[in-house]
Amino acid sequence: MSDVAFYDFVREPFLKLALWVFFLGIAYRFFRVLFLGIPHDYAKPKGNPYYMAVKKIVIKPTMGWTFREIFARRAINFIGGFMFHIGFIGLTFLVPAHALLWREITGLPIPMMPNIVSDMLAYSAFGSLLVLTVHRALNPVLKLLTGKDEYFANLLIGLILFTGLLATKWAGSGYIWILSIHIFLADLLIIYIPFSRLSHFVYYFLSVGFMGWNAGKRGVSF
Amino acid sequence: MPVLSKEEIEKFYEFCKKSINTEVASYLEACVRCGICAEACLFYMGVNVSGRIDPSLTPAYKADLLREIYKENYTLFGKLKKLLGFGVRISPEDLREQVKLVFYTCTNCDRCTKACPMGIDTPKLVSIVRGALTHAGLTPKDLANATNLSIEKGSPLGVDIPTFLQRLEFISEEYEVEVPINKKPSDYLYLPSSIELMKFPSSVAAAVKVLNRTGINWTMSTVAHEATNFGLFAQSKEVTREMLRRVLEGAKELGVSYIITPECGHAYQSMRFIAPNIFPKDWTFEVLNIVEFIDRMIDKGRISIKRKVLKERTTLHDSCQIGRRGGVLRESRRILKMLAEDFQDSVLIPEHNICCGGGGGVLVIGEADQYRQKAFISKMTLFDKVEAKTVVCYCANCMLALTKGNQELGRDYRFVSIVELVAEAMEGEE
Repeated sequence: MSDVAFYDFVREPFLKLALWVFFLGIAYRFFRVLFLGIPHDYAKPKGNPYYMAVKKIVIKPTMGWTFREIFARRAINFIGGFMFHIGFIGLTFLVPAHALLWREITGLPIPMMPNIVSDMLAYSAFGSLLVLTVHRALNPVLKLLTGKDEYFANLLIGLILFTGLLATKWAGSGYIWILSIHIFLADLLIIYIPFSRLSHFVYYFLSVGFMGWNAGKRGVSF
Repeated sequence: MPVLSKEEIEKFYEFCKKSINTEVASYLEACVRCGICAEACLFYMGVNVSGRIDPSLTPAYKADLLREIYKENYTLFGKLKKLLGFGVRISPEDLREQVKLVFYTCTNCDRCTKACPMGIDTPKLVSIVRGALTHAGLTPKDLANATNLSIEKGSPLGVDIPTFLQRLEFISEEYEVEVPINKKPSDYLYLPSSIELMKFPSSVAAAVKVLNRTGINWTMSTVAHEATNFGLFAQSKEVTREMLRRVLEGAKELGVSYIITPECGHAYQSMRFIAPNIFPKDWTFEVLNIVEFIDRMIDKGRISIKRKVLKERTTLHDSCQIGRRGGVLRESRRILKMLAEDFQDSVLIPEHNICCGGGGGVLVIGEADQYRQKAFISKMTLFDKVEAKTVVCYCANCMLALTKGNQELGRDYRFVSIVELVAEAMEGEE
């Protein structure tokens, strides 16, 4: 297969397949949990559970802990996690090349970020991913909690970030191959998300919603 | 622990499987394995003070077996794995580890939930595992004995009706208070806990003084004479229901509209949040914790705090089930500010306070002592942070656990009941 044929394959039919698997898989996982049902709670709430559920979904990332407490305990988790998520989400949607792709797929006017910002986000996401992975492998608590799923996901995301940087900075004559591998790996990640813990973003709305609902029921602030 | 049969493991498995609903599945699916909950747990922090890290005490890890059972019954991938012969295999050692994780080193204090970026209610998951272990007959012996006693005699400390009446007679004579019993009709029913009756009678006397001073029409009951509900500790639905049924029977017989729960965390939790779901039609009472009630009475002007009774540096210990899980956090602080000249809160946000280490039945389990003692070290850091030796509590079980830890570790903190302080402060000049 030539480099152009491979590019066409990963850029068109395989990407479409990946997106179908992603949306169907995510929908299945979300609705499967949603339809399990929940018993009615007859205890009179002390506060407003519905308001608290919405409030927590919106502001939960700020949490109820002071910065000093957060940094004293898990600075690597918080700083690394924050840098990685900002970088990963920003790169996925707003890098000029990606924004053009999303515009084509969705028809929406997705904004583009300047190249200098893309570069900064890419390096910070890649660096923080490396640090987080090493931390995961060495910290006794994280070591116990981590399975193959986390390492595979980190490896896949790391390779996507690396090939993305390679394609934009140092590809030279192998540009189409490297770009195609980058897209291929991204397709694999899109397919992998519904089968892994990377789909946690779907459950954020449910678990944090329930947490807020319970806080409202009990009349506590968080 | 006895030798485990296949049937017992099967019972554990089935209980876990049947306990899954949308909320539980959301928590099980949402965990991102970040481990942030570890540093929120008093047992993890306490054990690690010695430098020996025990990662198995991480709250997220406590739900792992339940998570595996959920996956193979409710997810496509898990079902496929089971079909191919790669399903969950539970050994007797696994269940022994579960007993340590959920009965010895978790008080259901809920602090980990507040730290979790995904809002996972680990106590809810731990309660399911506790229930499954109890269903399989694996409740720790000490806890099982106390739970059985509460069914047989009406109280985990063996306080039956004659003993209940004797203790009230003693309190009435010793503290010179008038205690109404089975007075019909009454508006309010006050239930003491047997821990208070037997170990802290002065707290009961103080509650009686406060109730009498408010001028409300109240009574105690010989039918509903025990507030504590050990069914919650063992997560036995049958025991929880039976203990609450007795309260319901007593309250209905007296025709009351309000139930006042004592300084006892699980009593408030069971009557305020669980009973309405067990008896949705009959449980029509408004349930107030004694601290909530006092705050309301002060607000209405029915009692007044006439003087500050604590001169020294004082801090507050929150009961998790009344405070963090019950929403009575601001009331205790408002009252204590009136009682103490130098009140220093040990936490910036009330929901952050650390558990006593003896909640959730941990206090009665002998095998859990070594963990409870280390957890007390986590608790002490808060007292020392504000340099307070006097600690005000609003749960008798907390008082008992803290007093025990204090003695075992040779410390000199003084633990006092907030209701006793209120009773004292109602007397004398302003």
